[in-house]
Amino acid sequence: MLDIITKNDFSVKPAPVSVELQQEIEQFYFWEAKLMGDRNWESWFTLMSKEIEYWAPIRTTRIMRETEKEYTDKNGFAHFFDDWNMLEGRIRKIMSDVGWSENPASRLRHIVSNVLIWKGAEEGEYDVSTSVITYRNRQERQADIFSAERQDKIRRVDDERGFEVVKRKILLDQSTVLSNNISFFF
Amino acid sequence: MTNAPHTASSKTYTDEDIKNLVDTKTGKYSPEIYTSEELYQLELEKIFARTWICVGHESQLPNYGDFQSAYIGEDPVVVVRQKDNSIRVFLNQCRHRGMRICRVDAGNARAFTCPYHGWAYDSAGNLVSVPMETEAFNDALKKDEWGPKQARVETYKGLIFANWDESAPDLDTYLGDAKFYMDTMLDRVEGGTEVIEGIQKWVIPANWKFAAEQFGSDAYHAGTTSHISGIMAGVPAGTDLSQVQPPTDGLNVYIGNGHACGLFLRNPMFYQVIVGPAVTEYLTQTSYPEAVERIGKERADINLCHMNVFPNLSFLTGINTVRMWQPRGPHEMEIWSFTLVDKKAPDAIKQEWSRNNVRTFSAGGVFEQDDGENWNDIQHVLRGHVAKQQKFNIEMSDHTVRDAEPGYPGKSFADTYGEEAARNIYAHWARMLTTSDFSFLDSVPTLKAAE
Ligand code: FES
Ligand SMILES: [Fe+2]
Repeated sequence: MLDIITKNDFSVKPAPVSVELQQEIEQFYFWEAKLMGDRNWESWFTLMSKEIEYWAPIRTTRIMRETEKEYTDKNGFAHFFDDWNMLEGRIRKIMSDVGWSENPASRLRHIVSNVLIWKGAEEGEYDVSTSVITYRNRQERQADIFSAERQDKIRRVDDERGFEVVKRKILLDQSTVLSNNISFFF
Repeated sequence: MTNAPHTASSKTYTDEDIKNLVDTKTGKYSPEIYTSEELYQLELEKIFARTWICVGHESQLPNYGDFQSAYIGEDPVVVVRQKDNSIRVFLNQCRHRGMRICRVDAGNARAFTCPYHGWAYDSAGNLVSVPMETEAFNDALKKDEWGPKQARVETYKGLIFANWDESAPDLDTYLGDAKFYMDTMLDRVEGGTEVIEGIQKWVIPANWKFAAEQFGSDAYHAGTTSHISGIMAGVPAGTDLSQVQPPTDGLNVYIGNGHACGLFLRNPMFYQVIVGPAVTEYLTQTSYPEAVERIGKERADINLCHMNVFPNLSFLTGINTVRMWQPRGPHEMEIWSFTLVDKKAPDAIKQEWSRNNVRTFSAGGVFEQDDGENWNDIQHVLRGHVAKQQKFNIEMSDHTVRDAEPGYPGKSFADTYGEEAARNIYAHWARMLTTSDFSFLDSVPTLKAAE
């Protein structure tokens, strides 16, 4: 069973990191976003570790005293709950010419900001919180906007990628998804 | 999100007009059924306000005071577990000025206090306290007359249904032979099913009947073009897709009372590519003998039944995705979807089941993404004046309607890739809109419950 990071890991203010590290990690995310905007899904997928846990729990509206139940947990339902194999199948779908939800393809833009970095448990590992605004426009006049926090665990790698994403938790700012599908990635 | 709503048509439909929209003899029907504001309002009145509508599953409300929000058509309701373990469903509307009483998706509460002026209702929906009852009402307010409107509530093997209409037949009669097919999901092993927590909700700018009819009758889109890429995503890289043949052995069944389904028999191909090898093994091997014992070989051998319980409750048995197609005007629906698993299945199988539903049948599902795309585009085309005048084709299997296969109940049958069920769903829809009592309901025999 997948063991997924919990929200609480990100609720303590991070200790300062060097400007170089901040810049390096931000550049990693900007490049990742560019690959998605360019629909270069094959290259984007190489940034995901073989151990990737790619999870987007469902967000619900709760009374304040029950806020801890706002998101589904790892035993619950989700928008994404993928391992590497599942994601690999999705990549083949999105790149095929018979995946009608993305053929013709959406025009996608991910704006990544608010990059907060925590030193991870292991040397070269970092927990990173980013805010993402995703604009999706398709066909004649469909336009969707998504907003989310991504809570990642990334790991330094010894090749031109710089880092790979080991865990990603996507916290959407919608309870009812205001779109006809989610046919792309965050 | 996409386009502004259409302007309402000024046409006024007579009963005769409505019946003529669906011609089952020639296999033609009018797409006005997907676009007319007038027909939509009639649907809310004649269908949603007088049939049994699913509002959830009992396992979502295990304890006294557990509640969740749901909808009967466009009417918001609160579904609440009572102290005596029964379930109440009442309109989510305060009787003072009509404020929404419960404004969250789910939770646990002993009382619901209206945020506007503070009228408070207990978990059964009784008005129990009114601020300044003496000063403002001189203690004359008859509180017992001012609770929110209550619906009738009945359950079938865990699924909770509600109905506003006092004169409607009971749930058992209404479901009729649908229960036989529902049991392939709800009753295949001891202990029944439970919900994986969380209802996924999303919006498709298309009429709710596209989805209801597709789940009820349309194996054609799954066996042909729509889901090729979904199948591709579920097989190992490099698989020769021409070797992955959709099953052809099966039935298209009009069950009666608007309910319909399609069966794939004795070929678990769709299980493999949708829920994956571990759950397929659980379904077709580990738990198969018990399923045969409980529900018989005919039903244990159904390797996926796509089904719609009229009007808007659909599922894929085996895959165990359950969804309510919530109508939101003629041009939009909300999908409310959750996953059921056998309560006694091992935890690892439950999670695998759930994760594969997320992967395939959800807003981001590799199958469902493409359904969302089709319905969206159909509805968009129907903005056209000329497009609305065209007739659509429901003649498939018209000439090959067949006898029932022994052991499978229903009113009429076609082969797997047939539209016998679709024709009858739409005919039933027209009957419901044009009849005020329940005389049109098919008389379906009551089934014996599985031992
Ligand atoms: S509207 Fe509910 S108390 Fe006034
Ligand atoms: Fe489909």
